[in-house]
Amino acid sequence: MTNVSSSVNRREFLKSAGAAVGFLGALSAHPEAVIASVTEQTSAPNLQASLSSDIVMRMQVELQKALKKSVKERRWVMVIDLRKCVGCHACTIACVAENKLPPGVVYRPVLEQEHGVYPRVTRTFTPRPCMQCDRPPCTPVCPVNATYKNDEGVVVIDYEQCIGCRACISACPYGARTSDFGYTYTEGTPVADGLIIGQNVADDYERAKNFEYGKGYARPNEKGSPIGNARKCHFCLHRVKEGMLPQCTTTCIGRATMFGDANDLDSLVAELINKPNVMRLKEELGTEPRVYYLT
Amino acid sequence: MLNTTLLKKLTYGVGALALLLGLYGFYVRLFIGERDVNYGSYVVWGLWVAMYLFFAGISTGAYMIATLDYLFDIPLFKGTGKFALWGALVTMPVALMTIGMDLGHMERIWKVYVQPNFFSLLAQMVWGYTIFLIVIALTLWFTVVKPSKNTLLVKVLLSVGLFLSIFLSGGVGALLGVNASRAYWHVGLLPAQFPVFSLASGAAFMLIVVDWFLVRDGERRLQQIWVLSLLTVILAVVKVYFLWTDFSQSIYGGIPDNVRAVNEVMFGRYWWAFWIVQIFLGTLIPVIVLLQPKLAKADSVAGWMGLLVLIGFAAARANIVFPALSVPELQGLATAFTGPHLNFDYFPSLLEWSVVSGVVGLATLAYLIGTDRLSIFKAEASK
Repeated sequence: MTNVSSSVNRREFLKSAGAAVGFLGALSAHPEAVIASVTEQTSAPNLQASLSSDIVMRMQVELQKALKKSVKERRWVMVIDLRKCVGCHACTIACVAENKLPPGVVYRPVLEQEHGVYPRVTRTFTPRPCMQCDRPPCTPVCPVNATYKNDEGVVVIDYEQCIGCRACISACPYGARTSDFGYTYTEGTPVADGLIIGQNVADDYERAKNFEYGKGYARPNEKGSPIGNARKCHFCLHRVKEGMLPQCTTTCIGRATMFGDANDLDSLVAELINKPNVMRLKEELGTEPRVYYLT
Repeated sequence: MLNTTLLKKLTYGVGALALLLGLYGFYVRLFIGERDVNYGSYVVWGLWVAMYLFFAGISTGAYMIATLDYLFDIPLFKGTGKFALWGALVTMPVALMTIGMDLGHMERIWKVYVQPNFFSLLAQMVWGYTIFLIVIALTLWFTVVKPSKNTLLVKVLLSVGLFLSIFLSGGVGALLGVNASRAYWHVGLLPAQFPVFSLASGAAFMLIVVDWFLVRDGERRLQQIWVLSLLTVILAVVKVYFLWTDFSQSIYGGIPDNVRAVNEVMFGRYWWAFWIVQIFLGTLIPVIVLLQPKLAKADSVAGWMGLLVLIGFAAARANIVFPALSVPELQGLATAFTGPHLNFDYFPSLLEWSVVSGVVGLATLAYLIGTDRLSIFKAEASK
């Protein structure tokens, strides 16, 4: 064994030495070409491979493609792979930050459940955005047509129209709507100058406009809304229109949330929703949710 | 037993005190806002919605009772119609006021008139109540204030009013019942029950009025009390039957959300509201007392029983609204995200109780002041 090993080592040594001599010879003759070829074969191609294999990049490209189509030709859906969700709640927090949601308002909580008996226990995490149902129970109950499915199939709320009766919240089978009672996170915190900024400056952030529905709503504003209104997830339509994925999708560290146009049969979401392990919440109600779960 | 003057003074006093306690609630809700309520994003409708159902039930029920006098010309009830109509006219605005307080943007209520979605039961109800209020006022006008000689016009008006009182009572049930996601509400029986509840509320209300506030002028009044007592008893028993069908069907059916809601009513944190207030005080005691002619006809007893029945109905309305909303739509939702008004465990706040106290006081005082001061009731008082 020792002899064989020595002979292999010797052979490998001679081979490496020959390659090194050849490389140095080539380097002295054509240095730029050699470096370019090495770079091409190592770092650059790997980075490219890493980027193109990230589903976020793929969804981004597909989003651009979908935006070139007319509004009615798109069918936005969300797919959530429950096996990949680690329950980090990053999507919940990202959504709160993106839409500047006040205390008591949440668009995308992550439901946690424990199963089994010790020592055979497990936990499941179910992110729950608005299902954007194709047959939404929440829209027909509105007495003033303030909530409806828009041309892109997303259930939206006209904040200036909403009278705050909460009938839509009661009608939603998924608990996906919450009411804005006008709180801010900074209220009740010390008003005196803080070590860093203090409440007076810190709550500027909470008062400034968000970007919802492409309009932006400051808190409070002269018309009151969205305080007093029902509020809900809208698939970050304001981001989507600008070619960006919904914030929860971009932020998901496990790449468990996918978003895209299901009418594009080559898209990632179209591919996923045709898998056999796909399910939707409370399918039996016939609400036809546009949020699919992979189990 | 108490005489009518003392009973009226007592009712005035209770009404004034209730209104006084309500001033705090009115001020906070109208000038500060809705934050001090305990309903929210999960239990979206609380005490105010329950009380809206309660007052709307009295209003529509009182109108139904008024038709005994003006539409069906039943001699025994001659002279009681205007008291019932006045009750309907007073309690409907109070019902709307209570539900108005519940709106996040009450200043936008005009949109329901100008830009309505008639597919929504809520919009139908707002329009229906408005038309009903006008019909009550017209009925009072053409039957009492300036009695019309055109009996056909009056009969048509009362028929429309009777239809509306039944339709609007059922509409309240449908408002809840159409929510397919709430198994406890989503039963065909729910809208069918509400007109019966309304009639029962109207009968109980008239028991109080006839027994406590009308002149005690002999046998005819006692007969009115006896018939109203029997009507109240029959409707109370029918209500218990409805409860049985509802609960037994839910429990035998075994749909988890439905069973949880029923258990919440019977054995949850409001078990006392169901067993003690609704069943014992609001049903059992009045049924036992009102079934005995001597007791029922004894001075002021029937009125107290009417009051107990109404209190029982208020608890019953609450027991319809809260429990269905106290069951999370999805497992894990209750703890997924915390914050103000994200709670499935509901008990009315001080603000909510205060507003309810205020509207009860307002309705009581408005009714009594109207019957004491308006000329249409003067003749009755002097008689």
